[in-house]
Amino acid sequence: MAVAFFYLFSAVLIASAFAVIVSRNPVHSVLYLILAFVNGAGLFLLAGAEFLAMILVVVYVGAVAVLFLFVVMMLDVDFAELRQGFSKHLPVGAAVGAVVLGELGLVALGWQSAPGAKEAAAAPIVAGVSNTAALGQVLYTKYFLFFQASALVLLTAMIGAIVLTLHHRPGVKRQKIEEQNARTRDNVIEIKKVPSRAGV
Amino acid sequence: MSFSTALAHHFLPETILALGVLALILIGAWRGTRAFGLVNELAAGLLGLAILALFFGQTSEASLFEGAFVDDAFARFVKVLTLVGSLVTVLMSRDYLQRAKLGNFEFPVLVVLSTIGMLLLVSADNLIALYLGIELMSLALYVAAAFDRDDARASEAGLKYFVLGALSSGMLLYGASLLYGFSGTISFDGIAKAITGAPPLGVIFGLVFVLAGLAFKMSAAPFHMWTPDVYEGAPTPVTAFFASAPKMAAVAITTRIVFTAFPGIVGQWQQIVIFLAIASMLLGSFAAIGQTSIKRLMAYSSIGHMGFALVGLAAGNEAGVRGVAIYLAIYLVMTLGAFAAILQMRVEGRPVEKISDLSGLSRNNGTAAFFLAMLMFSLAGVPPLAGFFAKYYVLLAAVDAGLYPLAIIGVLASAISAFYYLRVVKVIYFDEPAPAFDQSPLSLRAVLAVSTVFLLGFWLYPAPVVEAATAAAKSLF
Amino acid sequence: MVVDLTHYLVVSAIVFTLGVAGIILNRKNIIIILMSVELILLAVNINLVAFSASLGDLTGQVFALFILTVAAAEAAIGLAILVTYFRNRGTIAVEDINSLKG
Repeated sequence: MAVAFFYLFSAVLIASAFAVIVSRNPVHSVLYLILAFVNGAGLFLLAGAEFLAMILVVVYVGAVAVLFLFVVMMLDVDFAELRQGFSKHLPVGAAVGAVVLGELGLVALGWQSAPGAKEAAAAPIVAGVSNTAALGQVLYTKYFLFFQASALVLLTAMIGAIVLTLHHRPGVKRQKIEEQNARTRDNVIEIKKVPSRAGV
Repeated sequence: MSFSTALAHHFLPETILALGVLALILIGAWRGTRAFGLVNELAAGLLGLAILALFFGQTSEASLFEGAFVDDAFARFVKVLTLVGSLVTVLMSRDYLQRAKLGNFEFPVLVVLSTIGMLLLVSADNLIALYLGIELMSLALYVAAAFDRDDARASEAGLKYFVLGALSSGMLLYGASLLYGFSGTISFDGIAKAITGAPPLGVIFGLVFVLAGLAFKMSAAPFHMWTPDVYEGAPTPVTAFFASAPKMAAVAITTRIVFTAFPGIVGQWQQIVIFLAIASMLLGSFAAIGQTSIKRLMAYSSIGHMGFALVGLAAGNEAGVRGVAIYLAIYLVMTLGAFAAILQMRVEGRPVEKISDLSGLSRNNGTAAFFLAMLMFSLAGVPPLAGFFAKYYVLLAAVDAGLYPLAIIGVLASAISAFYYLRVVKVIYFDEPAPAFDQSPLSLRAVLAVSTVFLLGFWLYPAPVVEAATAAAKSLF
Repeated sequence: MVVDLTHYLVVSAIVFTLGVAGIILNRKNIIIILMSVELILLAVNINLVAFSASLGDLTGQVFALFILTVAAAEAAIGLAILVTYFRNRGTIAVEDINSLKG
């Protein structure tokens, strides 16, 4: 039963990955990419990596793919011009693809791990601990340096995105809450006694 | 030793820079648009402090964070070079960026973040550390390349660099995943232990993919395609940064990984490195000949120099690693000096980039012309300048290892490349004077002068560099 | 594991190949190139998770977790650079790699 799911997820994954690269419309490509990620998450679930599967959906589909979609829709893209090279590069692309697939397939089908590989495991998976808890136990202790380094990576990405795309528009009026709160009745209201029919 | 003492003794430069960069960001955010000058000076101060921490720190070897981070003499040697490259870049970039209205505090912040990535990369002892170091270094560089966001050339440079960089990271990761699957561990030592006897196809593919990804970061041919375009399109101080610090880190980690993770299959990786070395040296020699832009010339020149550094790596022994270390040090000084000269090329406030703009510099500014000529001679490898000794050490190591054809190709490539370096000298001294350059800031003139003095004086007193390089090489074996 | 390790490796190899082919075929369209890079990273993640399950070692999953984090950061920066390029050029078609040839 689970084997059937494996073949289902793999088939849809490969089909949607293929659709990503051949679609005429970039919006369709993004949607097929989302489908590919969701099926990839399914494969992760079958392999016992539940946390990673959910994170794939939340981060990749929920953030990265949505970001792609934003950008694709925001940029005024001329589909026809972008497809120009497609059929010209098709023979080369197909040939390179076939060679790469052949070689990697050879590696995959004839795969042998080293004899001591299972014993060399640095963080063995123990039964009885959920996947998320197990990852938590190891992430902040053994792999602490990587945790901090990835924090710096995310900081760099944030700074980079801001420095490249933030434009301060001149003349935009912003609220200054401190000034608003510091305003007192005496600063802004003045009561004038106005005689009738005299005006201010 | 407890965790905090271990950190204080072996992780000090990284800690200084990481905490410092957070402070820099806060200062920049708080001061707003006037922050650039202060943040630039503070960033230079942080980098200087990190260099001091390395000089006066522990000399013992240690492995921290459960085998993710290794602090040995080789790592310290390359870290000093990397930090010097970043520091000098930060100092040289100030004037250019302010004139180009690019004086944002984010630039020194990105340089420091990239440097932290390089330090982690140089000390990386497992696959995840390798990947995170490369990515932290590269992400900041992608942004720096596209920093001039109103310039179409810079955006194109940043985009090309990003696409090719992301692709090469993907390839490197695929290779890393194969190596992990084979050996069951991410540590380099663990991978070495797992490879006994003839390596199966998976290991070979893992090795090739990882080396391909690293060759891209080093801009070694045939993975050099991004280099000329990105060097030309990016703002000049950013190009100076590209040409100096990341190369140190990339060559260092390649050296570490082939000797730590693949000592058992020297035959296989030696062939790959020889191929990369020959392709880079020959491409660097021939492709630069027709160039008119000095930045593009420097790009091809750096590809050629990386080829020479790889010759030392191909030798596969301690003398070879010593040659690589010496080559990196001398290459760094030559590159920083050359870019200090290029940054001075400004006519009526606009920067100029053509070699023809250097015509007759000897009549306009004799000192700068002399310094630049000495730099060109050193890049070409003319004795008794330091560039000659750099090539001498690597070629000697190659000959000792029996790689005679490689050494011969090295000498030939050097002779061919001398043509375009000497052509620049001829343009400086024997051509009709072009419009004189503007007065340049002290920082640029100082860097040019100091680097030229180093290159001229190296033959008199090579001991400090050579001894440090020997100690560095020994610590890898 | 529900199926043999080799099944996962073959699926991963196919997705990797599709990513590489996507880059070659869509050289002009930067967005598709970025998506092809995401496909390559997905292939790597499948590899790592499969090895992790086969070896009984969490390290593969930890590696995949960090790759996910960095890939998200990379996508953000890549798209920011693309937007900058678009603002300068008005199109996302990139002329062949040596357009800056001097």
